[in-house]
Amino acid sequence: MMDAGRHPRIELMTLSEVEEVNGYIGNFKVKVRKKARYVDEKECTACGDCADVCPVTYPDEYQVGLGTRKAVYIPFAQAVPSSYVINPENCLGSNPIACGKCAERCEKKCIDFDIQDEIVELEVGAIIVATGMDTYDPTEMDEYGYTRFQNVVTSLEFERLICAGGPTEGHFVRPGDMNRPKRIGFVQCVGSRMENRGNPYCSNICCMNTIKDSLLLKEHYPDTEIFVFYIDLRAFGKGFEDLLKRSREAGVNYIRGLPGSVMEDPETENLIVDVENTTAGRLEQYNLDMLVLSVGLEPRGDGDPLRQALNLSKTSDGFLLEAHPKLRPVDASTPGVFLAGCVESPKDVKDSVTQASAAVARASHILTSDKLTVEAITATIDKEKCTACGACAKVCPYGAIRWEKKTPAEVIEAMCAGCGTCAAECKFDAINIKHFSDEALMAQTESAVAENASERIVAFACNWCSYAGGDGAGTSRLQYPPNARIIRTMCSGRVDERFVLRAFELGAPIVLVSGCHFADCHYIDANRATQRRVDKLWDKLEKLGIRPERLQLEWISAAEGQKFATVMREIEKMRQRVTAEEIEHTIKVLKEDRGKQESKRKAKAKV
Amino acid sequence: MAEQDNFKCLRCGNEYSLPKPEKATMEERTCPKCRSNSVRKVG
Ligand SMILES: [Zn+2]
Repeated sequence: MMDAGRHPRIELMTLSEVEEVNGYIGNFKVKVRKKARYVDEKECTACGDCADVCPVTYPDEYQVGLGTRKAVYIPFAQAVPSSYVINPENCLGSNPIACGKCAERCEKKCIDFDIQDEIVELEVGAIIVATGMDTYDPTEMDEYGYTRFQNVVTSLEFERLICAGGPTEGHFVRPGDMNRPKRIGFVQCVGSRMENRGNPYCSNICCMNTIKDSLLLKEHYPDTEIFVFYIDLRAFGKGFEDLLKRSREAGVNYIRGLPGSVMEDPETENLIVDVENTTAGRLEQYNLDMLVLSVGLEPRGDGDPLRQALNLSKTSDGFLLEAHPKLRPVDASTPGVFLAGCVESPKDVKDSVTQASAAVARASHILTSDKLTVEAITATIDKEKCTACGACAKVCPYGAIRWEKKTPAEVIEAMCAGCGTCAAECKFDAINIKHFSDEALMAQTESAVAENASERIVAFACNWCSYAGGDGAGTSRLQYPPNARIIRTMCSGRVDERFVLRAFELGAPIVLVSGCHFADCHYIDANRATQRRVDKLWDKLEKLGIRPERLQLEWISAAEGQKFATVMREIEKMRQRVTAEEIEHTIKVLKEDRGKQESKRKAKAKV
Repeated sequence: MAEQDNFKCLRCGNEYSLPKPEKATMEERTCPKCRSNSVRKVG
């Protein structure tokens, strides 16, 4: 951090928050609130006189509450800038009656209570989001006794306790009696891989962190007895298995099974841990001086405003979604925005550095280019046909359509991701998507039912999830009926109601629209438009006397090959129940309806 | 009683109700009986 702070070409803005982001790749305008420090950072020599006289004491956030700080303080030793800062929520105030002691004491007169927040506007070409993560708070897992027993600590608290820069200056003691613990237990997967509490995913770093800690303890305090309680040990990285082996060889005990209960001996403050050792197949009890809860990682609780400002998607776990899990792992869904570190998923230092390096390389490619190549698949607007209704601008997840009343809409191609939601929404056929044009998709729809229409299932599948799910079903050799005709669109939001109605008009018994699960949408939230459109279509079909059941909707992820096959089998059963009379009636009413709609549209166009 | 939203599964025919969400956000719909997403908001 100090290196970055000193670098002549890096401006590090600490104690600052991004408030607004406008513009697009290569041309972002970012509004940043630089919060008031109340201490002139250029003049402050960090002598500490102000903190000496500050009368209030608060838990030190950097030491996870294990140490204290004053209202005027340096957050941590390597903080940039290396100057004091006043926390206005803790400070008693400048009024001499209230306090003001620091300002009185500071010889250089650096302290000024009238300093205001500053709004800084930046013009940048690319943005890297590296806002990190939170750790799971294990208080709700009452069986481990965290916060009830002083000697039950989280892995982060443990980290501070063994750190030379920690609250005990590296003297490793337990919080209860400040004695060195000699029998230590580590509980793995606290808040990770759990369905009912905590999070369902593996937090990736906890096993290796515990193995590292166990080796550190054995190195510095060889007489320490260490017990690690685990479900599985995941030591999959380069050199990691070797570390685990070394830890075992150093005498660390690995016990497969998580504690069922933790009690405290009131006299010794030792912890009595009951655990089912599933390898030995027996109940065991351990008397420990200290218990470390290896807590999982979570998305930051305060991350949503920034995510919304940047128009980014998140996964169901709450981490930010990358543009493609394999091929564009550091790109965010918004062009020109990149992800690094735990904001994207839990990861260790090495993986964070790898991802950050890749993000920087991706960003510098933008900064060094005179011209950018945009995606081949983007929207185009026919100004002749556009009635300037603005419906397209309202549904665009990227804000890529510029529109003012009475002026034809305009696509900012650098921002357009090509989902096609605008094209499906436009009632006047004024929008087309390159490579996924109305004509092409309509032709595919028509050819799907050109022969033996009554035996076909017309299935629209989005490129990223359901089409990939279908692929998965195929490569896994899962059996599903062969009569589905799959039409690929980039997003389910591209599926125009006209395609669906056309399929029915040409005799399709069943039409399926499928896309990504809401949380996985690769176009932020374009698939919400799909749901709205299908809702409208169900109403319309019912109104026309067509069973709405004949239009099916499914969210199928790329990993759900099994679901894809099951859905196809179930839909095939539904298809078999659609009668020839039903199809005939559908064809008749939809033909009439199309005639009506066309004459209406012609009349409107004349106006 | 809190206001309810009524749903009908267009796969298995199951009809069910859920309390109206506080915010007007759109949630993914899944039939509790057959897990289909072909769920229509009715009534
Ligand atoms: Zn159902």
